[in-house]
Amino acid sequence: MIGLSHYLIFSTVLFGIGIFGMLSRRNAIAVLMSVELMLNAVNVNFVAINRFVTSGQAAGQLFSIFVIVVAAAEVSVGLALIISIYRHRKSVDLNNFDLLKW
Amino acid sequence: MLEFSLHNAWLIPLLPLLAFALIGLAMHRWPSVSAMISILSIGISMLLSALVAVLVFSLSPGEIYEASVRWLSMPGLQVNMGMLVDPLAAVMLVVVTGVAFLVQVYSLGYMKGDPGIASYFGYQSLFAASMLGLVLANNFGQIFVFWELVGVCSYFLIGFWFGKYSARDAAIKAFVTNRVGDFGFLLGILFLQIVFGTLNFQELSAAIPGYTNAAVLLPIAVLLFFGPVGKSAQFPLHVWLPDAMEGPTPVSALIHAATMVAAGVYLVARAFFIFNAIPQAMTLIAIVGGLTALFAASIAIAQNDIKRILAYSTLSQLGYMMMALGVGAMTAGVFHLMTHAFFKSLLFLGAGSVIIGMHEEQDIWKMGNIAPKMPVTTWTFIIGALALAGIPPLSGFWSKDEILLGAYASGHTGLYILGVLVAFLTAFYMFRLVFVAFFGKNTAGRDKAHESPAVMTIPLLVLAVAAVLAGLVNSPLMHHVFGHFINAPGAIQPHPNTAIIVFSTLAALSGILLAWLIYQREVIKAEVIKEKFSMAYKVLYNKYYIDEIYGWLGVRLVDGAARVLFWFDIHVINGFVNLTAWFTGKSGETLRYTEDGQVQTYAIYMFAGVVIVLITALCGVFTALA
Amino acid sequence: MEISLLGTEILLATLGFLALVTGLLPGRAKSITGSMSLAGLLLILVYTIAHFGEEASLFQGIYLVDNFAAYFKMLFLTATLLVSLGAGRYLERFENKKSEFYSLMVFATLGMVIMASAGDFITLYVGLELMTVSFYILTAFLLRDGLSTEAGLKYLVLGAASSAILLFGISLVMAYTGTTVIGATAARLMTEPAVVAGIVLLAAGFAFKISVIPFHMWTPDIYQGAPTPVTNYLSVASKAAAFAAMVRVFMVAVDAAPGLTLSWNLILAILAALTIIVGNLIALVQEDIKRLLAYSSIAQAGYILAGLAAANAYGLKGVLFYALLYVFCNTGAFIIATAVEVDSGSTAIEAFRGLSKRSPALAAIMTICLLSLAGIPPLAGFVGKFYLFAGAIQQGYLWLALIGLIMSMVSVYYYLNVSRVMYIEKAGKQEPVKGSGAFRLALWVCALAAIFLGCYPAPLSNLAQQAIQLFL
Repeated sequence: MIGLSHYLIFSTVLFGIGIFGMLSRRNAIAVLMSVELMLNAVNVNFVAINRFVTSGQAAGQLFSIFVIVVAAAEVSVGLALIISIYRHRKSVDLNNFDLLKW
Repeated sequence: MLEFSLHNAWLIPLLPLLAFALIGLAMHRWPSVSAMISILSIGISMLLSALVAVLVFSLSPGEIYEASVRWLSMPGLQVNMGMLVDPLAAVMLVVVTGVAFLVQVYSLGYMKGDPGIASYFGYQSLFAASMLGLVLANNFGQIFVFWELVGVCSYFLIGFWFGKYSARDAAIKAFVTNRVGDFGFLLGILFLQIVFGTLNFQELSAAIPGYTNAAVLLPIAVLLFFGPVGKSAQFPLHVWLPDAMEGPTPVSALIHAATMVAAGVYLVARAFFIFNAIPQAMTLIAIVGGLTALFAASIAIAQNDIKRILAYSTLSQLGYMMMALGVGAMTAGVFHLMTHAFFKSLLFLGAGSVIIGMHEEQDIWKMGNIAPKMPVTTWTFIIGALALAGIPPLSGFWSKDEILLGAYASGHTGLYILGVLVAFLTAFYMFRLVFVAFFGKNTAGRDKAHESPAVMTIPLLVLAVAAVLAGLVNSPLMHHVFGHFINAPGAIQPHPNTAIIVFSTLAALSGILLAWLIYQREVIKAEVIKEKFSMAYKVLYNKYYIDEIYGWLGVRLVDGAARVLFWFDIHVINGFVNLTAWFTGKSGETLRYTEDGQVQTYAIYMFAGVVIVLITALCGVFTALA
Repeated sequence: MEISLLGTEILLATLGFLALVTGLLPGRAKSITGSMSLAGLLLILVYTIAHFGEEASLFQGIYLVDNFAAYFKMLFLTATLLVSLGAGRYLERFENKKSEFYSLMVFATLGMVIMASAGDFITLYVGLELMTVSFYILTAFLLRDGLSTEAGLKYLVLGAASSAILLFGISLVMAYTGTTVIGATAARLMTEPAVVAGIVLLAAGFAFKISVIPFHMWTPDIYQGAPTPVTNYLSVASKAAAFAAMVRVFMVAVDAAPGLTLSWNLILAILAALTIIVGNLIALVQEDIKRLLAYSSIAQAGYILAGLAAANAYGLKGVLFYALLYVFCNTGAFIIATAVEVDSGSTAIEAFRGLSKRSPALAAIMTICLLSLAGIPPLAGFVGKFYLFAGAIQQGYLWLALIGLIMSMVSVYYYLNVSRVMYIEKAGKQEPVKGSGAFRLALWVCALAAIFLGCYPAPLSNLAQQAIQLFL
């Protein structure tokens, strides 16, 4: 029988994959996608909580919907930024963005 | 209006403070505007003070107004800021604001054309604010803060003409000498806090009478007395005051004659309940005061610089006040403080007028017969001198008489005789100054002498009126109203004694007579006396060589110790400090390069931080987890 | 439900949209946006002050109106006002996007207000993201400036990751408590590995926002790259908002949980010590005023965190007191940095050379603000640190107070270094730094507040005391 802890373990693994992607990919868009992966790991958690802990209430689902909405806002800002930077530097490689340091 | 002024007495120091801020931050480019702001603020403070005084003196004696706010509190320590308005404070408010106002008006003339007028008036305002804050303080902590502030203002103003080496040295000397006294004072305050848990005057005055452990109270009282010894220039910390005359003369009048140096006397009067509880402390105060009075008066008869004569006279009179407090005559001490403030500032301002009129000449022997040239200055100066000498019915007569009466009535016959001797010497040196400088023979500088402008002579006239009349408030003519209000439990209130009045007046008159004989009629040749008593004259002229002794001690002891410490400092402390600094800078430099501009590096640090905290937490470092 | 309880929020939202709409007006008419926003903010600030003392719990506890929230609302509005006033001629760089700037500032403020009032995690998260997304845009507001866009992207990537961490923490806590209401969480927390992990992740999410070491790495880059008024706002208000939310979560949920034996105080105390040390050390070697103030703000956050770690009356009072005085002192310093940057085009500390000759008042106020940050009496910073360290000592963290004191002394070096440049080095230019009346007003408010709060802290400290009463 699959229970809450299975979902939590699954989401933790998903979260870890997201972290790995964020640290290893150089392309800014790929990094943003990895961050999405982390947020979706959280969403899995919330939906699972809704099913196993607070069944009857919608708190978990509600939370995941809010996360999805906010993530969409974040990503749209992020993509706009990336486009703007690409216009100037002709690159979306995070390695190249180190004017600010020390 | 009266109620308002009492409940808002904090405005009195605040207005000059605002003036200082305004001048310092915005107006320093416009000297005349600065001067006006300063004078206006002190003028309003003066009016408020007058209202406060009127109200306080219409209450019944012993009634006071105290208000305080919590400044800081933590378990076991509550620091309050507050103000205490009682007759003593009210008198000081009137004296300080009145003299400060007149001195600032006078300064308009005296400082005319000086490039630093704006900062001069800025400092004057800051001084007025600090001095008034000191007067209104309701606890020792607050009084100490303002005590230091007036010291700083004094430092700035003594060294106002910092282009002169002597002014700079005098400023440093004043500051350092005062630090010696303040160190003891601060220790005394700390002990008070430790022993009684409060620094509030009212609470302390309630607690001290029930406290009988003299072994604790005596050191506290002596340490507290260190502060007044420094600030009021009592022997042996008196050396800074004569040198402080390097500052502009109005500053000498206000700070180093009328107000700041009287702060020590004010403090002893304010904390009278502490000192009065310890007879030994009172004796110490009386003896220090009496010795200073005699010692300074004797030096004054051999000085030639007009301001120095007045400076030693100030020392001597401060000693007089201390002596009065020491013998328990608190009323007389404060009374003399008030009258002295008026006539001594009058004398200093008169001296300033002479110095301006004689084009920066300060040696009395180079003046001579300037009375016809400077009539207002001369006659107001003579009124001041008569008041200082204690000739009835001028103010100095009433207050000096009360001090002598107090000394006699309390059984200190020795101090009484000393006091009469000082009265004689005072009259002598003051009229030596008057006869030599204002009358006497014509000198080269006399012809170009001129009377000062009205902006300087009007304050002189006002102060002259005050010097004549101020004594009446504690005379039988006004039923000793001053003494009814300014008093302390345990202070003596002797009955007038005709014999004492006659003796002291005779002493003063004979002093004047002797001066007249020697310096005006030249019946007795000054040169002859000088030669006959050449040893004594030399000792007096050189101020008992105290400065030289301190200098020698300074060179031998302090320099010797300093050399050892210097070596230690350079080789041990510096090495350690430099090592620390090097290490600190180096670690900053190293850590800085962790910030390499790569966003993914930043993310690594972040996740690594999470993981480390998570692992330590899950391993049970922060929890009772199995 | 009384609608006036949500007055601040409703008015802010209205003002934000209004600012956006007036930006669409043709020609010169759109220039009313600035004065309208300032007037509106002032009005809302007055409204909030007038409603101080109201207590209510709305929507079954998910939105709280109390003194604590009201104190922080006043703080955010004061900060927004001062920053907008002080931005002065820097706004010219925003060209035709001024209305968007004001609108985003107002929305960011709204996000902070929601964070301070949030009674459950969903509301908290929404407020946090409203603030943060507004800041992403504000940071990258100068789209043609490579530094600004780079800072925006870095902030977005790291900020989104930190949000994910925070959310993961919330989800772990919620998996055990089954509720998102912060007040109901305490009773159901127990010492389980997942709960401990959840709380640690939650703390890490907040720690990112207040730039605690080692979650601080974004701070210097973003502070340097963002437009200076935005940096200013980011440093004072977003930090305070994160503290507001953090204090509420930790005091209401974690500290009060009977079933949880986690010495979260110690974790925070160690992080605070680390933050104070590293922040001050790196600040020593900075040459750019914005970067210097960034590291200084990291160190300052460390001091405030020490107060939260103490979690007693003094510590919490110190947190609130310090957060507000930090608004005044840091804003004062940033406003002058902005003016100098506009004047010289450079953010290097070198650009301050001879400022005391050119504009003595600016140099004096800069020195006052920096010395207050260093904690020199009688300025406000001293009193604030006094409360914070007194709280830490009372809690038994004498070592933390000592580290704080020593590093405060170290900080005097780099703060006074700015004064040294201003007062001792010779200026290239002679004419005074230009500034509008609004700019001067903001400066004087900051300087006088720094002095007044230092000389007479009792009124504000009483207010802070009232605000933290619900946690004691």
